[in-house]
Amino acid sequence: MTGLMVGAFYNPHLGAELLSTDVPIDHLAMADPPRADDPSWPSIKERYTLLLHDYLGQLSEPLGSRGIERARHLAELYDSPWVAEHFQCLHTEDGTFNLNYVFPPLYTEEFLQRFVLNARELAGQLDRPLVIENIPGFFEVSTSQMPEPEWLRRFFEQTGTRFLLDLPHVWLEAHYRELDPVAWLKEFPLEHVLEIHVAGVEEDHDLRGPWISPAEPPDEMLDLMDEALALCPGVRAVTYDAFSPTLTAEVLFRSVQRIRDRL
Amino acid sequence: MSDREVQDTIITALADARFRGSPEWIDRRLADGERVERFARFLARHFYYERVVHFFKYSRALARVTGRRPDAVLRGDAFEVLLPRVVLGSRETAREVAELVVRDQLGADHEAVPYFEDLLRYQEAMMVVEAGPRDWSAGTDPTTPVEAGALAQIVEGTTVLELDHDLPAVLPSLLAPWEEPPSAPRRGTTLVVARTPQARVSVVKADPVLVGLLREVERPWSARELADRAGLEPSATEALLRDLAGVGAVRFSIGS
Repeated sequence: MTGLMVGAFYNPHLGAELLSTDVPIDHLAMADPPRADDPSWPSIKERYTLLLHDYLGQLSEPLGSRGIERARHLAELYDSPWVAEHFQCLHTEDGTFNLNYVFPPLYTEEFLQRFVLNARELAGQLDRPLVIENIPGFFEVSTSQMPEPEWLRRFFEQTGTRFLLDLPHVWLEAHYRELDPVAWLKEFPLEHVLEIHVAGVEEDHDLRGPWISPAEPPDEMLDLMDEALALCPGVRAVTYDAFSPTLTAEVLFRSVQRIRDRL
Repeated sequence: MSDREVQDTIITALADARFRGSPEWIDRRLADGERVERFARFLARHFYYERVVHFFKYSRALARVTGRRPDAVLRGDAFEVLLPRVVLGSRETAREVAELVVRDQLGADHEAVPYFEDLLRYQEAMMVVEAGPRDWSAGTDPTTPVEAGALAQIVEGTTVLELDHDLPAVLPSLLAPWEEPPSAPRRGTTLVVARTPQARVSVVKADPVLVGLLREVERPWSARELADRAGLEPSATEALLRDLAGVGAVRFSIGS
């Protein structure tokens, strides 16, 4: 596949290694703004294409002028070809509780309208495409009104935004629902995909099952990536999705190389 | 109830272990209780892992001397015991988790670090002060001008730390490469730890005048009254209050 970018997340503790590696990495996704005391940042900015992938806000509520201004500022700082957010609703409206972890909204008409309205508002203020990432649910909520893929399809059709397909999230949902991952993947609106995330998974003590981890993607995940690439005609980038102080340079570089080897 | 309110109920259940045990949650049957419990525990461990790694980063840097990483307590029995009463983001849970870390760290070999106990108190204070509800409205930080008649009062949670060592002098060195643990000057140092409504935590080195002013604003006073009580120039008092408000240590209200 030609013209497809392959990259990873910028982990500041690996800044020096990212500047000296000869593993071909086309882009780095930025989950946090650069720290003022990061010695690698100026050279990282110069060397790599950067993708804005920060927490901008939850689209169940308007981002507000300050949130939108921050998004615009970061997009310009990185010269990011597109701007990413998540289908998430992780803190209560009054701010009392915050899960501090991505958590999906209810798949209902009301939430669809909220997300459509607020995504349009954000997209209208950006001078580059907005992409939004699917977030897995570990349990189903009885008040949901439609399957997640249908909700996503309607969202993309109504907003004209693009889809950041997180494959491990799809894989995990299939695992916990005892579905075939490829069959579940095909339910999603893949024609809107611009970027794909690939990551590792490991057994989690609390969940008593697999969850995302800063490990190499298993072969099964790379197989799913092969399927996805064949089904996503508009995909422009694949990103190894690991952002953690425990991530090692070896794992990052091997993961990127293994993704590249599959293309 | 709107869908947004239902979502808030689910978020509350995931965040608040006590709420998960209440009839208000159980009787609604919104989701599989066992799955929710597992995910809530996963979130709690993740939530406090991030905070312990961040706020106890100096202890983490010293782990090759002490032999104990602060985040190890999150895999221990004491944290398991705590899980049934965890309320994510609350000051009570932050205090309990921070105490677990401090207790564990004190059991480590720390003879080579004379300021170790000061360091633990500092990190514990940072973690506890950061906790509490957060303003997500993307408003500005408190820089309210000191209007005539406005009353200044200390913000709940603001902490004054009296230390035996000058920790700010050593903290950057702890995170830089070192062979032997860097030393801290032994001199009494007072720090004010505060947070803004957006949960930005700041540390200010305080002199006796600033500490005196903070003690005074445990009750609301106007800037002029405070200047009289502290024996300061009104303009100097206003400048100090503005600085304290900027870091979230003091808020202003209009008296009734």
